[in-house]
Amino acid sequence: MYGRKSCQLLRELASAEPGQIPTFNNDLFDQVMKECTEHQFQLQSLMRKIQDEGLDIQTTRNEDHFGAVVHHLSLIRNKRCLMAYMYNRAEIIQGLRWKLGPVLPQEIQEKLNYLEEEYFKNHSAAIESYMAELDLDLTVDMVPPKDPYIQVKVLDDIGEVLLGDQSATLVRHSVHSLRRTDAEPFISQGLMEEFLG
Amino acid sequence: MGHYYNIDDIIMEEEPILVSFQVGANGVGLLDPSSETNSVEKGAKVDLPFWLAHELFLRQAASVNVPSCYSQKTRKEIQADAACVDLRSRSPYFYELGCKVAPLVGDKTIGSFLRHAFASRYKEALSKAHGAALAKPPKYLTYLTKEESSLFEAARTSMEAFKKWQAGGSRLERASILGRKRKPAIGTHPSSP
Repeated sequence: MYGRKSCQLLRELASAEPGQIPTFNNDLFDQVMKECTEHQFQLQSLMRKIQDEGLDIQTTRNEDHFGAVVHHLSLIRNKRCLMAYMYNRAEIIQGLRWKLGPVLPQEIQEKLNYLEEEYFKNHSAAIESYMAELDLDLTVDMVPPKDPYIQVKVLDDIGEVLLGDQSATLVRHSVHSLRRTDAEPFISQGLMEEFLG
Repeated sequence: MGHYYNIDDIIMEEEPILVSFQVGANGVGLLDPSSETNSVEKGAKVDLPFWLAHELFLRQAASVNVPSCYSQKTRKEIQADAACVDLRSRSPYFYELGCKVAPLVGDKTIGSFLRHAFASRYKEALSKAHGAALAKPPKYLTYLTKEESSLFEAARTSMEAFKKWQAGGSRLERASILGRKRKPAIGTHPSSP
């Protein structure tokens, strides 16, 4: 049936757990593109047939016309599905910058198409230049903290990092008192958790 | 018509509808499995996805039949005990499809039937969602349409959020996109932005 593959592409996106992004399905995407080319070919050959019979393409309503209409509609349908696939993925990718910071973890980067990686980099650069202009980090927690410092427990061996103007070595299971703004990116990446002891 | 990029709207339009062709069409034999030539004959009855059926209807190339999920049998079941009817197996987009099909088939009773079905099932779904914070009733959930399960999910998460707020706890959380699985080791680490 026409348009089935393109719908399958969207079902895949829809069945992902909320907030997750599935791997870009290059294979299926290319199959839909091929289907589009086939529709285009059929559409043109039917239109040529109408013209060869000496009929007016604008007003003819014969069997060839309706065959062409079906192919035309299928093309539009496939286009809508492909556009929606890209658009909805782009929406998720934009959100990644706010949740995970400018560098994506390997496991997520693998799921993106080459163009999507470019898109993420450019979007990230745009946000950064805007924040630099404002001189304000917009990605921090929206609720003002009661205490600028926070107790955190390190969940993974992070190694030496630069925090503010001094460096610290973060070893697994150690507890630190950090500036909230320094700790937030680590928490959202799952490397630390707030220590409520 | 829904938003152009709306995934649910697109998937809903894939639902099959039985149509009768009022005209013949060449070069589209794939639509009619019983056709021996590469074309659809006038008067052929075939299942088409809604998006195609709708457009052909607007061009007066096909007439649309009422989908079987809005049959008298379903209506009787809904009248008897609305909450226990398995609507998902009939169509995961039962309500949305009904709204789109009703103007095409000229059946004025579909609208009021859908409203009655939704209203009587809504109450049950909501009370179950609030009560079932931890133990999910798995059987019941499989009866819900897409719309109803997102309502159910919304009620359940709001209840969870309320309980979390009551208990107190950290506001800062690991980003949900990373999933629940934790990586064993980390090669490179980003510096703080």
